[in-house]
Amino acid sequence: MSTQQPTSVGTAQDFAKRLQGAIVSGDAAQARKIAEEAVQKGIDPLMLIKCGIGESASEVGRRFDTGEFFLPDLVMAGDAMLAATEVLETALPQDKVQDKKVVVIGTVESDLHTIGKNIVAMMLRASGFSVYDLGYDVKSNVFITRAKDLKADIIAVSSLLTTTMPYMRELIDDLQAMKLRERFKVLVGGGPVTAEFAAEIGADGYGKDAVAAVQVARDLLHLVG
Amino acid sequence: MANQPVPVVPLWEIIARSREGTRVEEKAFDMNIFRTASHLKQQFGIRYDPEAPVPADDDMADRLFVAGLQFFLEIGTYCMNTGRVIKFSRDEIEKALLQAPTAITKGDGADCHVTVHRQVEGTEEPIVYAGVQTTMLSDDDFSFRFYRECAKDRCVDGIWGGVVDKIASKHDVIAGTPLEIYAYRKHVEIMRQAVAAAGRPGMVIINNAPRSVATLGLFDRESGLRPTDSWFSNGVSEMKIGYDDLDRVAYGLACGVPLKAGTGATLGGFSGSVEGAAIVAVAGAMQSLMVQCAQHIAVVVTPFHVRSRATRSGLWAEALALQALSRNTHLILDGAHGDHPAAGPGTRQYFYESAAGFISTVVSGGHHQGGTRKFVIGNVPNYGTPLESRWMGEVCKSAVGMSRRQANEIVKYLLEKYEPSLKEAPPGYTYEHLYDITTDRPTSEYSALYDEVKREFEGLGLRSKF
Repeated sequence: MSTQQPTSVGTAQDFAKRLQGAIVSGDAAQARKIAEEAVQKGIDPLMLIKCGIGESASEVGRRFDTGEFFLPDLVMAGDAMLAATEVLETALPQDKVQDKKVVVIGTVESDLHTIGKNIVAMMLRASGFSVYDLGYDVKSNVFITRAKDLKADIIAVSSLLTTTMPYMRELIDDLQAMKLRERFKVLVGGGPVTAEFAAEIGADGYGKDAVAAVQVARDLLHLVG
Repeated sequence: MANQPVPVVPLWEIIARSREGTRVEEKAFDMNIFRTASHLKQQFGIRYDPEAPVPADDDMADRLFVAGLQFFLEIGTYCMNTGRVIKFSRDEIEKALLQAPTAITKGDGADCHVTVHRQVEGTEEPIVYAGVQTTMLSDDDFSFRFYRECAKDRCVDGIWGGVVDKIASKHDVIAGTPLEIYAYRKHVEIMRQAVAAAGRPGMVIINNAPRSVATLGLFDRESGLRPTDSWFSNGVSEMKIGYDDLDRVAYGLACGVPLKAGTGATLGGFSGSVEGAAIVAVAGAMQSLMVQCAQHIAVVVTPFHVRSRATRSGLWAEALALQALSRNTHLILDGAHGDHPAAGPGTRQYFYESAAGFISTVVSGGHHQGGTRKFVIGNVPNYGTPLESRWMGEVCKSAVGMSRRQANEIVKYLLEKYEPSLKEAPPGYTYEHLYDITTDRPTSEYSALYDEVKREFEGLGLRSKF
């Protein structure tokens, strides 16, 4: 990834490459500037969203997985992606505007652990999802109400205590009782949570770690590329 | 209860600062952790050396202490309830460090012991609280037998407890419901009966429910936690606190009981680099002292990418932080990287990972009082045995007198063995697979594995004292 200065006449590929460089280095101002410049020059914004932003999201995830990047790098890359996306989306024809997939995420009721959930939220955001972080100690009905309000695609739930894991089951049971189970995919994770537990309670997916969680989220929604 | 001085900054002043301090967006606070740790790492020349998972660089340890103190002065502690930052002056911190005790007596009657400030490579005996933490046990009778067997091991000074899996064989113990209070309270009563049955009625027992309201319900001179037991308050990683944690502090202070606290750094989290995590770990200890009014402090670094605290970089960061604090203060310190191995009970890797952490802690100036714990537990009950508890006691006590360089060679040897399989660690087995449930003795296979690993460690230079 290069962060070199823009050439005077950039091709679409040049812009995509420069945008990737700005995002991976977490430079939101530069990412916004490149996006604005690209729009001015009539570069296809959809191509830039897919190649420039989409590919940098994969690169950021890869670097986090290998330990090269830390949580703050994800935050800065996420901010840079958001800055570029805001500019590029305004240039998209209305019929080309693609709705981002929406995730509501939180730590279950009575559980105050946040860092793992925060990392998954950052990774999802960096991967192009629209993420609404409900925080910690989130009651089942709050997950459901917010997911309904935000027309969420995924409810992502974290627990770090064996005594709070039952709230994951409760959430799924509540969704079933409210006849909303088919409307949302439920993704679970956290220290004591296992794939077996996820299957037992009827969750749609289990993320062993943040990188896996993003991949599972993409798989659940059949996202490609 | 006479050994509880009034903190330099009393609780009411801490609460006032949490309500009147500067309001900061949580994201801005988090990112400031990263920027400040990165800057201080450069300023003080803190450098991670993968070849020294147990570092022996005194000068760097001293620089780390100054960096950690500077970090805490600049960053402070974020109050999750108010969104404000609690800060202290250098003078307040230095006074609190001077006032902190060098020894605390815990346990009752003939079963009491003194937990003292330990020096780096010190010969002071590390106090070990083993047992099992966070694990669910299948029923009351089994819990009693489990804790009794743990308490019989004389290499262990206190035991942690978990909680019963189901109440009346049917109902899940769910945090936030009244069952949390009931289950934890009844479980602590069982622990108290079990240590008495083991002939150690005054032995320290510890338990910690998810919420303070349930934890406060554990305190009862007759049948629950006593003022002579260990009272613990968690912080929130990284550099944060919630009023629920401070509820335990308030109650402990009101009762005049010495408090223990721990606030950790997360490798891969907002502290950023390995060196940043070491700086935040030192600052976290300052938070435990100043905000949580602790007289006994757990130094904790938790790697994010792997479900083990005994990673190479995690060991380095926590060991250097312990050494920084041990060399520059007289605080009573705990290490935590021997608990939370990635591998489960009954596996050779479990012994390797946990021992790497125990040895590193002991030579770096720490006690080990966090119990035996496992990340990979799911909702499987009885995920542990008293033999892991004994291992913790044996290794910690036997590592006394070892130099950091010796420890480093042993830990490097162990890392070579388990490092490649940290991500896909063997999950291990439950009690029923590892113990004879009629006699509560280890199976011959598990005993043989234990003895074999112990001999291997003796060959490495860890002379067992038991």
